[in-house]
Amino acid sequence: MTPRRGWDILRLRLRSLARRQRVEDELEKELRFHLEQQIEVNLAAGMNPGEARLAALRRLGGVPQIQEECRDMRRNAHIENFGRDLRYALRALGASPSFTVVIVLTLALAIGANSAIFSVIDGVLLRPLPYPDAGRIARVFLHSADYPKFPLNPFDFRDFRDRLQSFESLAGFTRGDLQLSGTGQPEHFTAFQVTAGYFGVLGLGPARGREFNRNDEIPGNGQSVILSDRLWRDRFASDPHILGRKITLDSQPFIVAGVMPPDTEHPGNAYHGVAHGQTVDIWWPFAFRGDPNQRGSHYLEVIGRLKPGVRAAQAQAEMNALIAQMGRERPGALEGWHALVVPLYREIVGPRQRLLWVLLGAVGLVLLIACANAANLLLARATARRREIAVRAALGAGRGRLVRQMLTESLLISTLGAGMGMLIAAAGVRALVAFLPADFPRAETIHLNAAVLAFTACMALATGILFGLAPALQAARSDLHHSLREGGRGSTGGLRALRLRQALLVGEVSLACILLIGAALMLRSFVNLLRTDPGFRPEHLLTASVSLPPRVYKPKDTVRFWDTLAESLNSAAGIRAAGIGTDLPWTGYDDNIGGFLIEGKKPTGPEDFHARYHVASPDYFRAVGIPLVRGRFFTAGDNIKAPPVMIINQSMARHYWPNEDAVGKRVSFDDHPKESDWMRIVGVVGDVKDRPDSPEAQNALWWAIGQTPVFVGQMSVVIRGASDPRLLANALRREVRRLDPSLAVADIRPMDDIADANVSTPRFALFLVSLFASLALLLAAIGIYGVVSYAVGQRTHEFGLRLALGAQPGDVRRLVLNQGMKLALAGVALGLAGALALERVLWSLLYQVSTADPLTFATVSVIAISIAALACYLPARRATLADPAHTLRSE
Amino acid sequence: MSKPSDLIQGTLDLMILRTISAGPKHGWAIARHIEGVSQEVLQVTQGALYPALHRLEQQGWIRAAWRKTETGREAKFYELTKAGRAQLDRELAQWERLSRAVGLVVRMGDAQ
Repeated sequence: MTPRRGWDILRLRLRSLARRQRVEDELEKELRFHLEQQIEVNLAAGMNPGEARLAALRRLGGVPQIQEECRDMRRNAHIENFGRDLRYALRALGASPSFTVVIVLTLALAIGANSAIFSVIDGVLLRPLPYPDAGRIARVFLHSADYPKFPLNPFDFRDFRDRLQSFESLAGFTRGDLQLSGTGQPEHFTAFQVTAGYFGVLGLGPARGREFNRNDEIPGNGQSVILSDRLWRDRFASDPHILGRKITLDSQPFIVAGVMPPDTEHPGNAYHGVAHGQTVDIWWPFAFRGDPNQRGSHYLEVIGRLKPGVRAAQAQAEMNALIAQMGRERPGALEGWHALVVPLYREIVGPRQRLLWVLLGAVGLVLLIACANAANLLLARATARRREIAVRAALGAGRGRLVRQMLTESLLISTLGAGMGMLIAAAGVRALVAFLPADFPRAETIHLNAAVLAFTACMALATGILFGLAPALQAARSDLHHSLREGGRGSTGGLRALRLRQALLVGEVSLACILLIGAALMLRSFVNLLRTDPGFRPEHLLTASVSLPPRVYKPKDTVRFWDTLAESLNSAAGIRAAGIGTDLPWTGYDDNIGGFLIEGKKPTGPEDFHARYHVASPDYFRAVGIPLVRGRFFTAGDNIKAPPVMIINQSMARHYWPNEDAVGKRVSFDDHPKESDWMRIVGVVGDVKDRPDSPEAQNALWWAIGQTPVFVGQMSVVIRGASDPRLLANALRREVRRLDPSLAVADIRPMDDIADANVSTPRFALFLVSLFASLALLLAAIGIYGVVSYAVGQRTHEFGLRLALGAQPGDVRRLVLNQGMKLALAGVALGLAGALALERVLWSLLYQVSTADPLTFATVSVIAISIAALACYLPARRATLADPAHTLRSE
Repeated sequence: MSKPSDLIQGTLDLMILRTISAGPKHGWAIARHIEGVSQEVLQVTQGALYPALHRLEQQGWIRAAWRKTETGREAKFYELTKAGRAQLDRELAQWERLSRAVGLVVRMGDAQ
């Protein structure tokens, strides 16, 4: 039967249920019409009226009988039976409230947890990105052996934009924060410089005004700017005449060209990364400055909209062909680089996909355990209700009816569970979102919605059938004769049922073990992460950022400004050390410099000599707490007049001078260095990894701030105090204001917060998996307890006999314990094997723990076995209380 | 006429479906048509017709609507639905098979 036809029939049945009276009236009218027609015919045939009427009635047959028969035909047997089953099920559940409460509660917990995790998955993974036709948007990177995802050079980008055929449009963007001053307190805003048509790539358009065009890309053209809706509302009071208004950003005049609509979302970026979401407030044009033949610096991130029907892989192939072509046109161009085109969706949610599926898997296991538990309890009860079922069968209930009756009961339970589960999920989702790591993509799209409701409804149906089917079939199969005669006492109730319950129990214990092992491995991994020496000291450390507008500050002025700021901070009260540097540990970093020369060494390949590069003030390392390994830190004397010096980290020292002292060695960033171009290494400092869970530290080098060869407008300030670092913020603001009142102090954060945010994802995963594992363990314990105590209840008689015949209570206890523990041990063994088989699932989420960690496996076995023993012991003790006298009397 | 035990239910369904396949008819017209066409051999208990009509309607094979007859009276007209048409085809095919088989058996009896 097609669904459509099924629906039609259902509709007709419902209609006759709902409009019973009207159907009856119509039938009467129809029959009357029939009679009158027949009477007319009879009259025409020459009968008199009385005869004609009688003949017609005879011909038709008895009207009440016809009506009754018609009613029979319309009878909504299924629906009426369902109503009866439901009432019966409600009565049955009401008759054993504790049983009902245990099953419904465990299911509600399991279903609620599933719904909550599913709502995260729905919001983060399943919902399309908030851009029209988002599937066609892709990120474009360069890629080499050393750099998996590298930004582009602006002039290379321009070539790609002109020549690539796979893209409908291609745009570049790069972080370029701005300070808004002039109206009140100077404030720092997250801003991006974007090329023409950037918003068009995203499928977005300004709510007012225009977006940038190629004219805006020409250096020297009047600077225009597009504002976010939030900035327009908050700072410009939703000024309706904002377009064309002149505003001052970074002490320069900008003309407002447009305002974006409120839901404009930044696609997320890697280089000086800003997370996906409504995180950006200002966009301003990217201008192609400089010499198009100098293409060494890579900082433009690229995003494109693929033409309809073109896949990312095709675009990537085209771009690779173009790179080869460009290499032929200009020898050496883009040598060693490949194209990497990644769909935007994968770029945004890709890194978290695995974690979310692992969580769903974990919570799915909990649901399976809850189902096994429910099935077990229902089976036990079905055995106890054998007599009642047999009576019903004897009174004529068919097997189908019995199965349907039992399934109605289990579906009622699962629906109640799902209903409560929804409440749990509603609370759980709010807690989950609050607890999500700060950088989690798309957290704001996580809600309980129709999709989650539908998922929960499906779960209710599936679980109801899953845990109800076995008991239902069991009940329907039971031997009528046997059951009635046996009278529901004595035997342990069907070998087959027992086997099934034992199998369910073993499965339940093994699933719980798998979850426990997962949680324990994550715990070990998390502890490892926390125990690992970060390479710096995050406590009592305040961080902030200050940027100098390039139009106002010449490179010489910036150096003087930073020097003065560092000096005045270092002499302020309560500050132990203050430093200024381009970068902070663990905040995301990928500025690399490559192709430098090392005196007396030859690179083994085109990308061999490379390192992260930074700029630091003399006290930067002391303030951050990065230890000096050899040589010295920078001093105030390392200025523009002094010979150029640099500091490197241990990784770089090991890499290029494995068996030598790196201090005193020389490096140059000039292709043909004069004697004065060589920079001498004066110190080696400890390693700091990019992220706490990065496998190893990257090569890194620092230039002295007084000798920096590049303009450094934006700097991080680090201040070490003696206690709560937040107290130092005012001193910093005061000093900055004293030097230049138009500057904003942004991103004021204790380093502890940054360190904490870096472990928030593993902590999040650990918390949830532990929660699910404890739930699983609890459910399994309830399962064991339920099965064993049921068995004890069934065998009370036997135990009484044994005790009467002289068995010691200890013997009886051992008997029960043995039976339960055999099952528990089988479950644990199966669980350990299962966990080993699943190692690949967890591997990428772990840090310095083997997925087959023996300590973890041993601990989990001990925990699981102890809990099982406890769950067996309670009913075992009850078994010894069987009163022999009572047993004998009742015999 | 009481319930026609020799007229198995399926056959009545088939006749009703076939009768209204030409166009909508009310109950009395259906009864007359079956009697007329079968040359009064099949005298449907007219009463048996109505439960059958209700059953067919519940199955979704026919649908009913109140309309005016030629003489201007209100009557309940039945017509085939799409599903009903498919069902009629199925039943006709089955009937053909059955009657051919019965015919074969009967004739074989002659041959012996």
